[in-house]
Amino acid sequence: MSLFIDSDAPAQFEAALFNLNDPAPGALRRKGWSNNLECERLDARTGSRRYPGEIRAPASRGGDVESYTVVCEERLLRPGLRDPVDDALLSELEPMTTALAETSASRYPELGASTWLVEVFVANPQVATKVSFATKNALMESGLQVSDRTPTLGVGDLEVITRMQPEDAYPTACVRWFATGSLGPNDALLAVISLDPRETILHGGLCVAGRWAWLQ
Amino acid sequence: MTSSGHYARLRLAARYSRPHSASVLARPALDPGTAGALERAPAGANAGAAPLHLFGLLLATGGWFGINEAHAADPLRDVQLAEVDALRGKVADQVHLAAFDLIDELVYGWTNEPLFESPTPVVLAGVTVPVGLGTGLEAQLEDHLVSVLTQNPTTNVQLVHCPACTAVVVHSGPEATLISRGIDDPAVLAELGAATGKNALFIDIEAEGTWLVLRARVTRLTPDLPIVWSHTIATSSSVPSLLREPDALKSAAEARQEYLDALRGRGRVFIPARLAIRSYKGPGDGGGVPPPPFLWLESGVELSPTDSRAWTSSLLVGYTFIPQAYQGLLGHVRIDRLVTGRTRSLTHPDLYAFFGGSVITVWGPATASFQDEILNADQLLAAAAGDGPRTSFGALQVGVDLRVGNRIGISSFLETIPDLANSQNLGDYVRVFGVGFQSLGTEVTFWF
Repeated sequence: MSLFIDSDAPAQFEAALFNLNDPAPGALRRKGWSNNLECERLDARTGSRRYPGEIRAPASRGGDVESYTVVCEERLLRPGLRDPVDDALLSELEPMTTALAETSASRYPELGASTWLVEVFVANPQVATKVSFATKNALMESGLQVSDRTPTLGVGDLEVITRMQPEDAYPTACVRWFATGSLGPNDALLAVISLDPRETILHGGLCVAGRWAWLQ
Repeated sequence: MTSSGHYARLRLAARYSRPHSASVLARPALDPGTAGALERAPAGANAGAAPLHLFGLLLATGGWFGINEAHAADPLRDVQLAEVDALRGKVADQVHLAAFDLIDELVYGWTNEPLFESPTPVVLAGVTVPVGLGTGLEAQLEDHLVSVLTQNPTTNVQLVHCPACTAVVVHSGPEATLISRGIDDPAVLAELGAATGKNALFIDIEAEGTWLVLRARVTRLTPDLPIVWSHTIATSSSVPSLLREPDALKSAAEARQEYLDALRGRGRVFIPARLAIRSYKGPGDGGGVPPPPFLWLESGVELSPTDSRAWTSSLLVGYTFIPQAYQGLLGHVRIDRLVTGRTRSLTHPDLYAFFGGSVITVWGPATASFQDEILNADQLLAAAAGDGPRTSFGALQVGVDLRVGNRIGISSFLETIPDLANSQNLGDYVRVFGVGFQSLGTEVTFWF
């Protein structure tokens, strides 16, 4: 882990002149090294507050030219260490799950008193566990009551539902969850779904009292 | 695919059960040791209500969702696998301190706002690490968490061992026979007594881009498994680990303030004390006699315009005295520039380059060589008999200074003496652009 600070002079100026602190790949930078960076352009005030001692604070006077710093940070895990799709999902885990939880809470305020359950349908089981954990935390932070309980279905239901298309399978499963009592009238199930293994976004579905609705 | 085919996969996947079994079923052969509830189908499966996780099974059918397992079939060679393992170990080494930080922060939060009003038994149900890293890191983090919690009893979290929670148990009911971790089976939880702990703590740490994120939740071990507390904290890859003492936890804000204090605490004014030795180059064959080495004790003041101490300037006065040989006074100014970074380091040596000037006055029998002409015997005898000549001259110097923590440093410099550039008693150690440097010096400096 390291911090790579491009410049505390106007970034484009220095990069153009010397090309030494430019994080872009070039004669002195390998492409792989650059690919592992996430860069952000900061003004001097923000930069000096976030990286004291590394970035100079703006001058109190005489600063006619606003100076910027491009701060690049290395990703924690190198490319290739894990599956690219998993990496894409996990890299955006917090914003994705937070958005899903906020959408659920804002679109269905009447479910504020319900107990929320989370089920995740993602190919990699480790990733599914992570997504579930993050979603539950996000729901909790939205002020909802969340349970670790897992809804279940009978084998007979599964025999039928596994032969259906996704558009029908999830609503049917929702009906059966409610009918079998696995989901109670006060339960709301948030399903986080990867419909295609090549997708790097997750879809959300809500099952309440036997009724299914896609959130995104 | 028939149901028996599904169950074959399920058996592979379900060594331990976790609530999110669906994905386990999607790639059972790849990761048999991870999460996934196993439910064994009762006899007459069609009529039974065995609680299989629906969409895990759907995903297991693969083609229905268009799921392929191409990455499972990647024919990585042994060498590649070894390289990946080595890389995992390296990354884990880099990540674990940041993960320790997050755990410290979590426990510190509990010391300020305890989870429970009184000491409460809690089962450590699971610690998971970033996907791609190994279980060795899990063990490290678990040990650290236990260590920190043990040393901070005010959190009111009493970790307890719950074999029934973490072991794989078989539970037969009227609806089905379930094989799962006890903590995932509501029926088992319902039978748990108070002595085994009523809450379960789950910790998950994940690398999300440049962020390391810790999520924690506490679940009450009742059949409904309500989550009673959750928390998410994160640290960036560019943030150095705080390395807090387990028995003296402090918040990140406090640690940051300490860091800033360390940067700023010593102010911009230093009092250096310096021991310097100046040696003078002889003129070579046929020349005069060079002056002896001079030992100087110097002190004064060093100033820096910024806390980063990238630039410093100093004004020092010095004195030298060797009985029967010489005495001298020195005034010295110097400007230093940090060349290894933009700010002085708290952990690594700093290298400065400097430029300065001196005014030196010396007297005594051994100072007769500070003149242009070659000394003759009469001059040497006269100098030895009396106080000797008194000579004053100016000098310019360049050099480098290696400092550790801005507390101690060693430096080396070359000095040119314009007044004595043509002296037949002095030679040049080196000439640069026509400028001869007659003196070579080293110094040891302490800053107070």
